[in-house]
Amino acid sequence: MLHDFSYHRPETLEEALNFLAQHGPDTAVFSGGTDLFVVIRAGLVKPVHVLDLKGIAELRELKWSASEGLSIGACVTINELLEYPHVKKEFPILHTAGEELATFQLRNRATVIGNIVTASPCGDMSGPLYILGGDVVLQSASGERTLPMGKFITGVKQTIIQPDEIVTRIIVPPTWARAPGGYEKLKRIKGHDLGVVSVSMIKHKKAIRCAIGSAAPKPVLLPDFPADAAVEDIKSKAQEMISPIDDVRATAEYRTFMVGEFITRLMERI
Amino acid sequence: MKTVKFTINGDVYERSVSEHKTLLHFLREDIGLTGTKEGCGAGECGACTVIVNGKSVNSCLVLAAEIDGASIETVEGEVVDGKLTIVQEKFDEHHAAQCGFCTPGMLMTTKDLLRRNPHPNREEVIDGIEGNFCRCTGYQQIIEAILDAADNGAADEIAGRDAAKGGKHA
Amino acid sequence: MLDTAAASELKYVGKVTRRVDTIEKVTGQAMYVSDMILPGMLYARVKTSPHARARIRSVDVSAAVAMQGVRAVVTGKEVPFKLGLYVEDKDILARDEVRHFGEGVAAVAADTLEIAQKAVDAIVVDYEELEPVLHPRDAVKKDAALIHPDLGSYGFMESAFTPIPGTNIANLSKVRKGDVEKAFEEAEWIIEREYTNPSVQHVPMETHVAIVQWGQNDNVHIWSSAQSPYTLRNLFALSFGLPHRNVRVEVPYVGGGFGGKAGIGIEPLVAVLSKAAKGRPVKFMATREEEFSLLPCRSQLTYQIKTGVAKDGKILGQKMTMWWDAGAYADYAVNVTRASSFSAAGPYEIPNAWVDSYTVYTNKPFGTAYRGFGHVEFHWGLERHMDLIAEAIGMDALEFRLKNALKPGSATLTGETITEHTGNISACLKKAAEMVGYGTVTEEEKAKAAASGKKIGKSVVGLHKAPAMPSFTATTVILKMNEDGTVTANLTLTDYGQGTYTALAQMIAERLRMPMERVKIAFESDTDRDPYDWQTVASKGLLLSGNAAILAADDLLEKAYGDAAQILRAIPQDLDHDGDGIFLRHRADQRVSFRQLAIGYAYPNGNAIGGPLVGVGRYIAQGLTNLDKETGAGHPAIDWTYGAHGMIVAVDPKTGEYDVLKVASVFDAGRVVNPDAFRGQAIGGMIQGLGTATVEGYIYDDKGHLLNPSFTDNKIPTAKDIPFEIETFGVETPQVDGPYGARGIAEHSMISVAAALGNAIQDATGAELTHMPLRFEDVWRALNRKEAVDNWITKSPYGSCKSAPEIQKHACD
Repeated sequence: MLHDFSYHRPETLEEALNFLAQHGPDTAVFSGGTDLFVVIRAGLVKPVHVLDLKGIAELRELKWSASEGLSIGACVTINELLEYPHVKKEFPILHTAGEELATFQLRNRATVIGNIVTASPCGDMSGPLYILGGDVVLQSASGERTLPMGKFITGVKQTIIQPDEIVTRIIVPPTWARAPGGYEKLKRIKGHDLGVVSVSMIKHKKAIRCAIGSAAPKPVLLPDFPADAAVEDIKSKAQEMISPIDDVRATAEYRTFMVGEFITRLMERI
Repeated sequence: MKTVKFTINGDVYERSVSEHKTLLHFLREDIGLTGTKEGCGAGECGACTVIVNGKSVNSCLVLAAEIDGASIETVEGEVVDGKLTIVQEKFDEHHAAQCGFCTPGMLMTTKDLLRRNPHPNREEVIDGIEGNFCRCTGYQQIIEAILDAADNGAADEIAGRDAAKGGKHA
Repeated sequence: MLDTAAASELKYVGKVTRRVDTIEKVTGQAMYVSDMILPGMLYARVKTSPHARARIRSVDVSAAVAMQGVRAVVTGKEVPFKLGLYVEDKDILARDEVRHFGEGVAAVAADTLEIAQKAVDAIVVDYEELEPVLHPRDAVKKDAALIHPDLGSYGFMESAFTPIPGTNIANLSKVRKGDVEKAFEEAEWIIEREYTNPSVQHVPMETHVAIVQWGQNDNVHIWSSAQSPYTLRNLFALSFGLPHRNVRVEVPYVGGGFGGKAGIGIEPLVAVLSKAAKGRPVKFMATREEEFSLLPCRSQLTYQIKTGVAKDGKILGQKMTMWWDAGAYADYAVNVTRASSFSAAGPYEIPNAWVDSYTVYTNKPFGTAYRGFGHVEFHWGLERHMDLIAEAIGMDALEFRLKNALKPGSATLTGETITEHTGNISACLKKAAEMVGYGTVTEEEKAKAAASGKKIGKSVVGLHKAPAMPSFTATTVILKMNEDGTVTANLTLTDYGQGTYTALAQMIAERLRMPMERVKIAFESDTDRDPYDWQTVASKGLLLSGNAAILAADDLLEKAYGDAAQILRAIPQDLDHDGDGIFLRHRADQRVSFRQLAIGYAYPNGNAIGGPLVGVGRYIAQGLTNLDKETGAGHPAIDWTYGAHGMIVAVDPKTGEYDVLKVASVFDAGRVVNPDAFRGQAIGGMIQGLGTATVEGYIYDDKGHLLNPSFTDNKIPTAKDIPFEIETFGVETPQVDGPYGARGIAEHSMISVAAALGNAIQDATGAELTHMPLRFEDVWRALNRKEAVDNWITKSPYGSCKSAPEIQKHACD
């Protein structure tokens, strides 16, 4: 059961941002609610207000253009992402990661932006958006700022979002479009599960890019490797940079091992 | 409190809802439609699955306050003129319900699946119902019921009723 | 209840039929207690302990009491009633001490759930944290702190159990057969190992829920999601010192039980709230997190087996020690301990046996009945052990099992003799082996697995179980004829998905020779209206209630025949019946219909004879004996159901990842009454078994906090987790005293599945696992001969996975 909060559904972005300018610290912004209502129910957060973004038309936009790339609005659900033909075509790892996220019903509500805003180390979308060079656009009543994914998440469930800000969209530039890629996620069952550890990788004639999830407080982005890099070099760099923990899901030892295994698989497959 | 106007299984409602109440509790307590069940309250088990504006969702993670203008489908809307749907018939034939608690959610997920994919293969059925836990049946007879239903016009039946209502949802 | 009717003679029993209770479920009309709202009803929430062991210094409820909308607040001090099915060791709410994480300390009933929750949050409990005793190995040490220092003063069922006061041992059950040390001296090989499984939860889709109304003159009305209405009534009445007639239990549809709802649970707590709230009905529904911690689970088991084997592969002697970690309260665990002791060796002949089966108290959520009643837990070790013995002595694992399998003339651990009607374990083993192509791996199988870098492994395992129940277990079915010649049956055996009601309808239809559509099994149970049944557990329902249903039908017919004899002016022996009525066998046109007899027969002139036709069938377990407390000797089992699983897995020898390709499950059901229901039980139980084998299990930190009290980290199988191929088969060695020769299989499908997996993984890769669950990482560790991870009571303070909400909650402590 959820505690007593008031519900707001602005119809314009301006309305939303003005509300946050006044009530930001007491407000939880949401679209899908699939992370927010779980933590509210657990009593971990008790916002006075919840602000539903779904009434704001521009935040529901999902569009690809060869010049800008893929613009994913705050309210675009994972299933909407999966259904948009350009996603599978231009950024296949986004599609694969999306398919691995939770269940079909949850994907009808959960959003791409919501996933990165929650910033769980297990988040499925973060790693792929990292390596695709996504730029996060934030707006507040006082203006707009854009910063790369790499600067967006700062720790476990922590981002640089200010109380008066909304992430309005993420722009995935066309730089890495059509790059073959893959997303490997270790789960405890074949059904839906949080990632015990995950590896995203794209291979382009320019470079090999790799990100690792659930192996550190934030997704670990490896430095770019040349396209002809050896598997062992990537593996040893990964092992050097990750800092997985022992927890109820797996040991650090197994996570480290599977990171290496996933890198090998992806390098063979892509 | 917020006033919302919506339809459930084609019936029009206008109600005052508590702003922090979930759609699941609202349906069960305020409207009295207890077919949809609570299994975990956290979006994991699928027992609370209903269809909102044509999309299957876990109603435990949707606010009642969000449904203004929405059309909602629950298990209670499946029987029309006293007749079971083909899917319900096949669930009966294949013993796809044991304790029955997961069944309403499972049926709504199945409805969504067959709208999107009228003739799924076994793997697609499994993918489709993956978000609905069943502790009793081991899923096999549920899968068989859905495949048999699809082979016997279940998707057409859904599409036909959707068309009769003038679109995908009233 | 001999009925040697061949399948061809039967019209309903053994045939494919629909279930009698599906329509309500697929239409959403079925009403469960969680759906019920009564006038004036209040909502309850419970304050639970965040500590595994602590002294309660004080409970300050003043803020809760003062809150508007709060109608009752109760703490342990106000409810000095001890509960306990077998050992009276449990308070309704913790009084001076909390003994496990999640234990109830106080409770509130309020106008709304929200107010109740706010009130609970406002209750302040002052705890003095104590060092918890977590591992059973530590609990049995001489200087261990006592979970129940007053164990010696508790009432307990003396005929069956032996608690040891001054220790943490709630019960010790023993079997002493022959001379096991001499057998070891004569043995060619000795194989000794230890096997463990963690606690798991039943995970019914409907959590525990009850509504209780404590009315005037101590008339208590209970609605509960429960398996056993009469046991609930009995324990409730005894605990509160009320006459049985004062307590009325109603059970509507139940959303799964699996043993977790077998006895008494939250009802007493809800009752005291109702009493404190001036008799208003109070409803408590456990959240999923409470289901995992406030409500009970399944005991953990450490099973040590030492086996002496002769040169020819025959088992000469076996010493078995079971340490059941039952958590904070004995509940059903002492009986699980006992039932497992007399069954401990599996379906194999052990001429010399020694069993010590201990129930150990620890500071953890307590174990209750769970499908299999100990057998799923110990068959893991036992069937792994059979494979490891076979490997040690150089014999094929199936051959070794067949060589030692119980056969007609064999003696069980308790000295019972197996007859040719008991069942055929060898047939089950052979059939399961055949269904998975045990002993060979085809080229096709190899190639398919190799495509993903995996290796094939196959296994065949056996299993057995008899109902664990009192020697005087009984049940009654009442069968009433309706005015139109249909019948309605009343009983309090419950059907929460097993399909038993459908099987009973088939049997009644068969006996009365009328179509199943004319037989109604009244679904909901009411102890004021319906007759006694002991409990819906133990896989005894089909057998005992089936017999009672047949007897009820026969009784109804006898009365109807008596009336018909008068009307037709004949002797009853000259009569016969069909689904419509009774007729003279030598002149079939002379008949009287059931309609005419149903509520009394009226002659054309108005004279009436007979009356409403009601058949009563009662059946009590025949010939069972108590077990000798020292040797375990006796006859405890009304029937034994044997079974076997064959399994094929594909394992990645590098990473430990694996796929379950196929499971074939075979059970000697005596007679398969309903093929689809049989299949439903077989597959459902197998998948539940697979869940506990692959991923389920409670994980604690070293302070006894439960780290995975939700689906986030306590996973169960989804549709994606089932084997690619599933087959089932029913062997039919008739149970002579079973209804139409049938015996139950409700629990059996879950037994030995884990061992099948462990054996198949070892067959594929050589990885030897003796603990559960078998997660990919555990397989990897075994493959690489790394130390097994203690993923049960972990070393790290809070398990350190910060994403799960429940972990975050504790991080604030």
